[in-house]
Parts: sequence; C-alpha cells; structure tokens
Amino acid sequence: MKRTHYLQPGRTFTQALLASVLLTGCFSLLPSNGGGQTRPPTVRTVRAADIAVPSGYRVEAVATGLDFPTAVAFDEGGRVYVLEAGYSYGEVFTVPRLLRLEQGGRRTEIARGQNPPWNGLDYANGTFYVAEGGEIGGGRIVKITLDGRVTPLVENLPSLGDHHTDRPVVGRDGYVYFGQGTATNSGVVGPDNAEYGWLKRFPQFHDIPCQDITLTGQNYRTANPLTPAADTVVTGAYQPFGTPSRPGQVVRGQLPCGGAVLRVPQQGGPLELVAWGFRNPFGLAFSPDGSLYVTENSYDVRGSRPVFGAGDPLWKVTPGTWYGWPDYHAGRPLSEADHFTAPGQPAPAQLLAQPPGTPPKPAALLGVHSSSNGLDFARNPAFGDVGEAFVAQFGDLAPVVGKVLGPVGYKVVRVNVTTGRVEDFAVNRGPQNGPASKIGGGGFERPVDARFNPAGDALYVVDFGVMTTTEDGQLPQRQTGVLWRITREGAR
Amino acid sequence: MKRLILVLVAAGLTGCLPVRRDTPLVGDLPGLTPAQARGQVVYMANCQQCHPGGSAGLGPALNDKPLPGFLIRFQVRHGLGAMPAFGPKDISEADLDALVEYVVRLQGVR
Repeated sequence: MKRTHYLQPGRTFTQALLASVLLTGCFSLLPSNGGGQTRPPTVRTVRAADIAVPSGYRVEAVATGLDFPTAVAFDEGGRVYVLEAGYSYGEVFTVPRLLRLEQGGRRTEIARGQNPPWNGLDYANGTFYVAEGGEIGGGRIVKITLDGRVTPLVENLPSLGDHHTDRPVVGRDGYVYFGQGTATNSGVVGPDNAEYGWLKRFPQFHDIPCQDITLTGQNYRTANPLTPAADTVVTGAYQPFGTPSRPGQVVRGQLPCGGAVLRVPQQGGPLELVAWGFRNPFGLAFSPDGSLYVTENSYDVRGSRPVFGAGDPLWKVTPGTWYGWPDYHAGRPLSEADHFTAPGQPAPAQLLAQPPGTPPKPAALLGVHSSSNGLDFARNPAFGDVGEAFVAQFGDLAPVVGKVLGPVGYKVVRVNVTTGRVEDFAVNRGPQNGPASKIGGGGFERPVDARFNPAGDALYVVDFGVMTTTEDGQLPQRQTGVLWRITREGAR
Repeated sequence: MKRLILVLVAAGLTGCLPVRRDTPLVGDLPGLTPAQARGQVVYMANCQQCHPGGSAGLGPALNDKPLPGFLIRFQVRHGLGAMPAFGPKDISEADLDALVEYVVRLQGVR
C-alpha cells in the first residue's frame, strides 16, 4: 500500500472536503434502529434451529415460559437451577424465585424472595448465593440452602437506583465476590432517573464513592419531575437531585459504595472493597487461571450528563484499582470530548478534580449499548476454546439509552482475553442482527447469562425474554424467558 | 474528475444511504494475512465497539460498502460526523496500515 498516492495536498483536500460534506451529519439524519424497537409478539416462538453456532455445535431449548430469568447455576450433581428476577425495567414487579429444573420438564421452587430483582446466582458447598437487587428495599447478598432457607450475608447495599447488586461468584479463597452498580448513568441524578421509576420513590438517593473524592463543582440545571410546576433545579455530582455541588467539595468515601466489586467471607464478616470506578459491573467470573473478570455496562446517552460512544468493557480485575467511572471510559478520559459527545448534545464535563488513579485498558471492548452481562470461561477441551470468555449480550435499549443504527447484542460472543478479539459464537440466523421478535424466527431474544455446567461440556444461556423498547421506555413481556443449552457434538 | 465522482459515490455509500446489515459472523475470518491479523487486533481495540464484526451498531456497517483504503485512512485519522478522530497516539501509522487491510478484508464478508 502506497500512501503517497492519496496524500497529495490539493487532491486530498478536495476529497476530504467532499467526503466531509457528505458524511457529516448523517448520524443525526438516520433513524435509530435498535433491536428492541418493535411491537411485542403475542406469542414467543422458540426454535433452536434459528440460532447459528459454529460447525459441530448444537443448540436446544431446555426450558421455556420462564418469568424474567436472569441467571443459571448447578449443584454438585449437575442439576440445573434458574433464577427468576421478579422485576424488569419497565417497572413490572413479579416474584423472585429460585427454581430447580427436574427431569421431564417439571420445576421445583426452592425459594422465593420479596425484594426484587434477583439477578445473580452462584452455588458452592451446598449453598446458593443470590444477588438481591433491591429495587425497593436496598441490595443484599443472600444465602439459600438446598431446602430453601434464606439468610442475608450482606445487607443495605446501595441498589435503589438505575443499577443493582450484581452477580456473586465464590472464589477459591473463600470469599464471595459481587458487583454493585451505580445509582446513575454518569454521576448526576437527573430527570432520566424519574423515567426509570426510582427518583420519585427515593428523591434523596445518589451515587456513593468508595474513597474520598474532590469535585470540580460542575452542576446541571434540569426540569424538575418531582413537582407538577414547570420549575427547574440544579444538581451536582454525587448529590441528591436538586442539590448543587461546589468546586473543591470533598465527598467522603464509604462502604458499601456504588460502582464497585466487593467481597465478603462466605461465612459472613466485614465487607471489603476489591476495585471500583465501574458503572455497572454486572457479570463476574473467574478464568481458569483464577483471575477475576467483570463485564461493565457502560455509559448511556441520557440524563444531565450524556456520554456517547462508550462500549461495554470486559475488565480483568486488579485489586485496589480504580477503573475510571465517572470521568473515563476504557482508560480514555471523557475530556476527549469528540469521542464522547453525541451530535446535538453537550460534552460530558469532568466531575472529579483529581482522578483517584490511572484507569487501565480493558481486556476487550464490546459493542456500545450491547449490555454485555453474564459470562463464563471455557475450561474443557471437549467443548473447545479453553481460556476464552463467553459473554451473553442482552442487547441495546435504544432509543432511551441512545440511538443506534443497527441492533447491538442479542447474542453470545466469544472473547480472547489476551488479544481482545471478539467473535460471534451463538447468534440469530438471518440477514440482520437483532432479537427474534424483530427479525423473525424463534432464536434469542435477550441473552443475560452464559455459564458452563460443572463438567464444562455444555454452555447454558439464559434468555430474559421479550423486552421491546419505545421512546417512553421498556415493555417487558412476562413468561417469555428461555434457557438454552449449547453442546459440541461428540463431546459427551 | 473521474476520481472525484468515485469519491462522491463512495462517500455516499458510506454515509447517508439506508443501512444494510449483514449476516453476523460465526467464527474467525479464515486466511487472514499477518497484516490483517494485526489489523484485527487494532480493530478490536478501536472500532469493534461501534461496528461490531464490521456490521452496523452505533455506527453504520463497514462490510457492505466499497469504501477504498484512502477514505478509510482519512476517516480514521480525521473523524467525520459522529465518528471521532484517532490520531497517531491512538493508532500508529503501521497499525493504521494494518487496520485498513483488515477493514478492506471485512468488506468481503456477508
């Protein structure tokens, strides 16, 4: 390739000018085409043959009709357990449940909760560990015995906002690690949080840092959805809605905090901070070499401080590290505004006077708005790709989180955590990407968890079910969840 | 003049025509050259998040448009519309060469 051919000054300028004229502004002109932007189907079709997997692999539906399922786990005997959330964005409340799938299709309810969503599950030594999101009552990690007794391991986690208490995983060191999401999109409570439902319930709730931070004093004036009058309020970072911040203001760090990976001994004990500076660390998993990885749901283009172009990082977690929220994305400062400013939107101003550290680069960068969630690592050569991460992508919630030109996610991707290479592993067939309800067929709607069975020869994919989206928010459809299983032919 | 018409057509195909998405990939692209393999790593770190697998996402699809290498290079370096610029600190000249080869390789994927 000889670059000098197309770097001749006069010609290059003309070409650049023409291209610029034609290309600039097209993003604004094109309509959003997110995967969820469709009419909900009256009945969900389930057809495994509509999911494409690499040659030699086979997909089957293990269970259908689940009510907002969010996680899967296995006991020592390989029996399969599914968690039903009891809640969905769009503000549909049901009953959180832990179910065991029996032979012949029967389901046994092991336990039920009262503080949804239940959105993360692990099992170790006769005990289930459940992340209780706590949309109303605050987050908890609860232990559940095989006979259904529920006891809290951690309570009063800051889960009343946008993001909840996320998936627990039991480490070889005897600790239960889990993610704790932030209250907001990017550090400032705004009218978008009223649309999500919680601001009117908890008007004093806001983000909590894990260590002391000093603010720049950046404030935002917005309409006030808490009053019928057409008044406005001014809100600062890490403050309740309607409370401004001031330059140099110190916000004290505390535990529990938001946007963090935390841990607690399996038998109970003091809560410990592992790492922080995540927006919503939803999926956690240990790689075969014992390293902890986490998927982060990154910024949306919404609220007082919208952030554009922020893919979902897959992080290798180094204890004691700050990962960048709310002023960095994937190691790049948001002050590089041209990377993070949506057309027609304000640039995200810096909130922290001094960053608490230097954020690292992620192991991989997944699609913007892909909602990359539950993950697991392959460890059995019979399945293949040992050491690679399999990540369930829930799919975009456009347009409320920001505009996309094509559906993002709705599949399971395979990630080489050494090179950052991302490939589709299981994805709906057809000329377009997207959920089955949009593109036709009976494949994936919204994969939310991916986990191997104890033998490592089968990958189970939890499909939350149909959730369509509109300008006004999400429209989840009950009892459309599916549990899929992917095996490699000849592996058993 | 012919060159300018080509630029017009290429730019139009890239930007403002209706978005056409492609069959998602399953598995790695076969037969990557060493330069394309290097370009793939650069792509994953910088481009994948907006153009997953070369198909449409936040941005338009790249794998269904006959965008010539010099325009790919120009757009990466300068950014256009909603796409940001990636300077030499983000992507070195050698890596940009490799990236262009990889993106051109993606154009054949349907």
